[in-house]
Amino acid sequence: MDRNTVLKQVNDIFIDVLENKTIILTDQTTASEIDEWDSLNHIHLVVSIEKHFKIRFTSKEIQSWKNVGEMINSIMEKISP
Amino acid sequence: MVFTSLTFLLFFTTFFFLYWFVFKENVTLQNLLVLIASYLFYSWADWRFLSLLICISILNYYLGIYIEKSTKPKIKNLLLYVGLIQGIGVLAFFKYFNFFIDSFNEVFHALNIHWNIHTLNIIIPLGISFFTFRTISYLLDIDKGKIHATKDWIVFFSYVAFFPSLLSGPIDKAKTLIPQLEQKRIFDHDSATDGMRQILWGLFKKLVIADNCATITNPIFEGHSGLPASTLLVGAFLYSIQVYADFSGYSDMAIGFSRLIGFNITKNFDFPFFAQNIAEFWRKWHISLTSWVTEYVFTPLSIKFRDYNNFGLILAIVINLTIVGIWHGAKWTNIFYGFIHGCYFIPLIIFGTMNKKKRIAKDKLLPSFREFINVLGTFSLVMFTFIIFRSESVIEAFHYYRELFSLSIFSVPHISSDKYSATITVLSIFIMFAIEWLGREQDHALSQFGFKWPKPVLWSFYYLIVFTILVFGSFENRQFIYSQF
Repeated sequence: MDRNTVLKQVNDIFIDVLENKTIILTDQTTASEIDEWDSLNHIHLVVSIEKHFKIRFTSKEIQSWKNVGEMINSIMEKISP
Repeated sequence: MVFTSLTFLLFFTTFFFLYWFVFKENVTLQNLLVLIASYLFYSWADWRFLSLLICISILNYYLGIYIEKSTKPKIKNLLLYVGLIQGIGVLAFFKYFNFFIDSFNEVFHALNIHWNIHTLNIIIPLGISFFTFRTISYLLDIDKGKIHATKDWIVFFSYVAFFPSLLSGPIDKAKTLIPQLEQKRIFDHDSATDGMRQILWGLFKKLVIADNCATITNPIFEGHSGLPASTLLVGAFLYSIQVYADFSGYSDMAIGFSRLIGFNITKNFDFPFFAQNIAEFWRKWHISLTSWVTEYVFTPLSIKFRDYNNFGLILAIVINLTIVGIWHGAKWTNIFYGFIHGCYFIPLIIFGTMNKKKRIAKDKLLPSFREFINVLGTFSLVMFTFIIFRSESVIEAFHYYRELFSLSIFSVPHISSDKYSATITVLSIFIMFAIEWLGREQDHALSQFGFKWPKPVLWSFYYLIVFTILVFGSFENRQFIYSQF
């Protein structure tokens, strides 16, 4: 799966979990730019992403992300064969 | 030296003059002045623990540098743990040691074991909960790579002891304050005048509202036995207003004084009594503490418990809020205060309404009936917990609650204060909420208030507030409620 496809699928998860159809993610997007993306929804997003891609992040990974790009990097590392 | 004293006025005026007129060109000298002023300010309140403040600063300064420098994860973790143990250890010793000993003794007593561990005569250093939280967040953020360790000791020591927020917060994280200390400050006229407006509003809330409420609530809470439920309701209502006016008043002043010297520190209140549910209340109340605990306690816990769905979230929230309660001091009343708030979140998590952010009365003058009921309901829930927060013990709070839920709720309340003072207090509360309601979308209530009025009218309004403070303010030099934490 290439990076753009992953970003597109993560975008769909965000729209679904945060119930906001207008979300358009880029690598630079941060939580402060999306109203609904707070500490609680962050956990819902992580769980949904893990289920969707059938992967498991470590606590340290989750807490180290500064933007969507870094989150996508972690997903790519785990799904790359 | 409290913000509302003449001593502080002289102290700050001298500081302001030296800061902007003598050391204006040199940021290091300005920071050194901030540091010296902070230590003087702290010593004025209690000189005995200045050495503790300095030792903690030295240790964490070097720990920060070596955590960042270290390439071996084991050494990095070891240094981080030394810092965390020191921070939590100092807090545990000064604030919680006697509480644990007393609790152990009670357990032994209940189990019929005749051990009696002696408590120590410990004096709690002022501001300890605030400055240790600053050093802990500094080390955690370096470890996570969110910030770099500062190599400038004056910057770091000033960050730990920054006098406007040293004794009662807001609790600034390193990523907010350290970059501001490192760069040159330029006097911004607009920001400084807005700071003055915020100080004025803080003074009004502290001296006119909080201290006048205290004259009514103190006798009620100190001798509530036998008082009718209606009086107890008035006591609980006014105490809720008092805590808000006292603490948010202090925060407004701390932010205002910081802005006068070119700093933007963390916002601490966002009109919490207009919140429509308890989750929104905590997003608006003591923001610097809740965001701290959310980042360093709730987030790691909720990640750990994420496989347990809603149960995991409930557990994380209840632990989180209980820690917020314990932060206020080692008393069962504080623990219950936090725990009850944690439990308030349970229905919101189950029904998925915790994070539905809705701006109240958006683009309207008045709230809808539903919004009004939500606000009233949230206020009542919060008021209920302030009874235990204010009580000396859980038993005493229990008696208060029992007496509150009786038929004497329908009687006329007895208030020890004279009718004139009581009327002034109620009227000022009404004015405070009216002005805060109109300014609820701004950073603080007076930020844009009356800007469309002609200048002479606006200035008359400011003078009216000053006049109100001088005539109706209570100048008994009462400490701020949160300075005890």
